[in-house]
Amino acid sequence: MVNESPRIHVTLPSALREYARGRDSVDVSAATLAEVIGHLAAEFPGLGYRILDDQGRLRRFVNAYVNDEPVSHLTPQEVRLREGDSVHILPSVAGG
Amino acid sequence: MARPRKGDTVVIAGTRKGLFVLTSKDRRTWQSRGPFFAGDTVRHAILDPQDGKTIYAAVTSEHWGAVVARSTDFGATWKHGDEGPRFSKESGLSVTRIWQMQAGVEGDLYVGTEPAGLFRSTDQGETWSSVDALNYFPGRDKWPAGGGGLCLHTIVPYPREPKRMLIGISSAGIFGTSDAGASWRNMDAGIRDFTPGGTCKETSTTCVHKMARDPKNPAIVYQQNHIGVYRRARGEDAWTRIEKGLPMNPAYDAPFGFPMIAHPHDGGTAYVAPLAGDGNRVMPGGKMAIYRTTNGGKSWAKLTKGLPQRDAWFTVLRDAMRADTNDPAGIYTGTTTGQIYASRDDGNSWKLLADHLPQVQCVETGVVGGA
Repeated sequence: MVNESPRIHVTLPSALREYARGRDSVDVSAATLAEVIGHLAAEFPGLGYRILDDQGRLRRFVNAYVNDEPVSHLTPQEVRLREGDSVHILPSVAGG
Repeated sequence: MARPRKGDTVVIAGTRKGLFVLTSKDRRTWQSRGPFFAGDTVRHAILDPQDGKTIYAAVTSEHWGAVVARSTDFGATWKHGDEGPRFSKESGLSVTRIWQMQAGVEGDLYVGTEPAGLFRSTDQGETWSSVDALNYFPGRDKWPAGGGGLCLHTIVPYPREPKRMLIGISSAGIFGTSDAGASWRNMDAGIRDFTPGGTCKETSTTCVHKMARDPKNPAIVYQQNHIGVYRRARGEDAWTRIEKGLPMNPAYDAPFGFPMIAHPHDGGTAYVAPLAGDGNRVMPGGKMAIYRTTNGGKSWAKLTKGLPQRDAWFTVLRDAMRADTNDPAGIYTGTTTGQIYASRDDGNSWKLLADHLPQVQCVETGVVGGA
């Protein structure tokens, strides 16, 4: 069976690399941001918990960008992806 | 650094920026380890009272969520589950912080969260199950949040009776179970409300701050509330004021403060750390004082020897005072300006144990190898 999901390059922030066995980026096949995070969670147990809250939304102070465009105002299910897109997961500038 | 040995005293300080572990053979000289989890808030951490070896830390990252980490080598290494406690999808709720952690009486572990929730683990915090009868208690949508958010911050198990437990939520009030969490009932009668001369009903919402059981008779519970200090014994139908000798918050003519601890051995002995008031959460007059009752709350005596009597413009938060299990007992008090004051004589005199820490969120104590 041919996997038709687009190939996506995901960049992780330094704070999350300990949950990704030290990786700073991962390539996955996914049609939405929700699928991207689902793949990350399946490959790296605990990583999904760090990104999504109990309701499957991006945590309050976690931002996501697709090709440098912010998408955090959308639900991960709403963020559609295309072949070759780059996803960046970043902590928001918050706290003290 | 020498590894702690059986019988050593352990003081654990969770702070706004990491966790510190102090150990001592004689409670005179101390070794400090940490900070662990640098940058993250540790609102609560405990030394497992049964093995006297496992430290559990409630680590909240404002970015990446909250987990319970554990160490069996006093912080040298840590482990945690892949996930922290979580609400169900149907609830619409999401855990943002862990406020409280307590060992149950059956080797289990409980945490209290924000938004208010109670969760139980039977595998040292690897996985969690929701205590649904409380977390989805009828009317929770009307629970008012306290100044720190809608948080479950107090868990009070009942020694040798695992089916009984009290919990406190700011500011939904006090809830009790006698069937291992299958059902819960409100327990707020007798507490002042915010109207002049008003008193709460059993089902009122109140701003409980901390509760502690009497060490000799665990059926007696002492409470520091937003409005007053109280005690209630099992079978009684209301809380009773126990405030003689305590400084009063003039706004409500009631003592205001956060911690309430009991002495480890002496029945009727408890400690509070009153503040000027809810509108000015500092030591009254800038002079630090801890108050102790030795008669079950009939009266309170002021303890100041060795505590700063000027410029003490800080708060002692609800979990920032604890007693160890030694005899005489050690009492430890942490401040929001980063000091820990320690007493080796039941609170009669105090010395500075640590300074320049980040804001102290909690102080817990224990003995290596268990009490």
